[in-house]
Amino acid sequence: MTKGKKILAYGVLIIASFISIFPLYWMVCAATNTSLDVTRGRIIPGTHLIENFKNLVSQYNVAGAMWNSFRYAIVLTIISMFICSLAGYGFEIYHDKGKDLVMSIILLAMMVPFAATLIPLYRLFSKVGLLNSAIGFILPTISTPFLIMMFRQSARSFPHDIIEAARMDGLGEFQIFIRMFIPTMRSTYAAALTITFMNAWNNYLWPKVIMTDKNSITMPMLVANLKEGYVTDYGMLMLAVFLCTIPTAIIFFFLQKNFAEGITGAVK
Amino acid sequence: MKRRVLVSLLAASMTASMVAGTVVSADEGGDNKLTVWCWDPAFNIYAMEEAGNIYKADHPDFELEVVETPWADVQTKLTTAATSNDLESLPDIILMQDNAFQKNTLTYPEAFVALTDSGIDFSSFAEAKTAYSVVDGVNYGVPFDNGTVVAAYRTDILEEAGYTVDDFTDITWDEYIEKGQDILEKTGKPLLSCQAGESDVIMMMMQSAGASLFDEEGNPAMVDNEALKKVMETYKTLKETGVLTEVNDWDQYVSSLTGSTVAGTINGCWILASIQTAEDQSGSWAITNMPSLVDVEGATNYSNNGGSSWAVTAGCKNTELAFDFLKSTFAGSVELYETILPSSGALATYLPAAESDVYAEPQEFFGGQAIYSLITDFASKTPSNNTGVYYYEARDAVATAITNVVGGADIDSEIQVAQETVEFQMG
Repeated sequence: MTKGKKILAYGVLIIASFISIFPLYWMVCAATNTSLDVTRGRIIPGTHLIENFKNLVSQYNVAGAMWNSFRYAIVLTIISMFICSLAGYGFEIYHDKGKDLVMSIILLAMMVPFAATLIPLYRLFSKVGLLNSAIGFILPTISTPFLIMMFRQSARSFPHDIIEAARMDGLGEFQIFIRMFIPTMRSTYAAALTITFMNAWNNYLWPKVIMTDKNSITMPMLVANLKEGYVTDYGMLMLAVFLCTIPTAIIFFFLQKNFAEGITGAVK
Repeated sequence: MKRRVLVSLLAASMTASMVAGTVVSADEGGDNKLTVWCWDPAFNIYAMEEAGNIYKADHPDFELEVVETPWADVQTKLTTAATSNDLESLPDIILMQDNAFQKNTLTYPEAFVALTDSGIDFSSFAEAKTAYSVVDGVNYGVPFDNGTVVAAYRTDILEEAGYTVDDFTDITWDEYIEKGQDILEKTGKPLLSCQAGESDVIMMMMQSAGASLFDEEGNPAMVDNEALKKVMETYKTLKETGVLTEVNDWDQYVSSLTGSTVAGTINGCWILASIQTAEDQSGSWAITNMPSLVDVEGATNYSNNGGSSWAVTAGCKNTELAFDFLKSTFAGSVELYETILPSSGALATYLPAAESDVYAEPQEFFGGQAIYSLITDFASKTPSNNTGVYYYEARDAVATAITNVVGGADIDSEIQVAQETVEFQMG
């Protein structure tokens, strides 16, 4: 690479990273400023953070919303990890024509937007009394075609020899899955976990429709509420957005190495 | 191995308990409880809670639960519940935007309870306001907040150019544009800002002449609508002369007011709450009525933008209680309006409240003007208009038209297209 090319490459990268980082920087700055400063376009950190925090906590049940979001997201992630990986594994390892057909149908379901199934789902859930419940939140997204497909793709690179060897050694099929597949596919799990947790955490439309009780609201719903009044407190709003971003950011930072590997489908 | 089993069992039981713990029992609610959906903690939620306190004083068993629900969510939940025929999940009372009232009550008539025979005295509200929630002669809503249009000006900027707010009272748009150009030249500041691609200003101008985008039967009436054509022309001139500046979104609009980049604004009186966040501008704002259209029949200096009303839903388990609650608070308690006005600026459309002393108090932020009695006076002079079922569709079509007109397109053909768009959507 010549010097000129290098400068150009770094130049482009610097601009691109600035574009990606600036909104986050602005979010953090705005969280420390008064609403008026934010509307006047102040882009340096201010001294209003504690006051914004006090306002937010005194007017809204942030702890409750955080707890709800965590609870729903964690439970959903654990269960859906298990179900989807088991399904993906099954589709790949024991595959035959019939299962391939079922897989195609599942993939077709990926094309149906959630909004299209919203009303029938709501009707169903309301009939069985699952409105305002964690189960109601979790059930519709507990198994997603995308995750099944992701696990199926990565199971493709899982050596069949290992399975044969394990069978010889007397391991049952389920034990092979638990003791051989899961540890090998750690990076796929990390990627799937990040995606599922993030989707569950950011889920807005479905909880908004089924959570009618004020004690069941989640963080994204709380943020939406902050924007609704005739007057918006931008400092407080950005602080709430910041708080809402932290958990997914932490998870991503911890798992980012595995995440990149999982997405590209590497097996160690 | 044993440990592993133990760990898995623990994990499983934790998961189970987390799920189980969250199954909130469906809100049974006693006979004395009302649940309400509304959205602004500083405004309508506060007002509702105060109403609850007032009612509780006479009815100690009464319970009120206000669930903060943004308007967009109220609409989504209402649509979902009504189309899936599950009205039970609706709360007892919801707050509804006036512009959406006709649409919702006509589309989902089974979701609302008629209030005409509820004992509520609707004659104590401004007629133009009540009209939003009347469908086929039946009342479905108790009017709440006021969307009366005010023109707010920065007196310090006007002064710089040699004007006072009186120069902008009872004027026409032609005079407004002329003075606006002068101010722009002397101070570099436009008189008015608005969101590009939104039709708020257009709709306010329309209603100020009592004009609508629909005829009495609810059919689109944009083509050959003299008022609409005049409004479009006025808007175009405003934009071309630089008296009006367009911004990209709502946040920029608010920031143009608090950041002193414009010399004034014209909007529903609820905008005053945002203006007042700029405490350092205290004393340099004043309000008056909006300009009137030139050569349009029925043109006035008064209009309306936004506002909302309380509706009782079919999910209400105790309609008698809901009726009595509304009757003795929002439709019967001057005390309630006196309580909520000073701290929230929640301006009522309940006429008897306007005579209260609290409304006549001078407001320091507005240079000592008694803005609340002024606005109530404007409200009583506002002509009513016809929203119909397809109000929002028509607004959007007009917004597209005005964007094209500003870009140089022909007014008549754009209006024609807008009408065709709405007719197509109506099916």
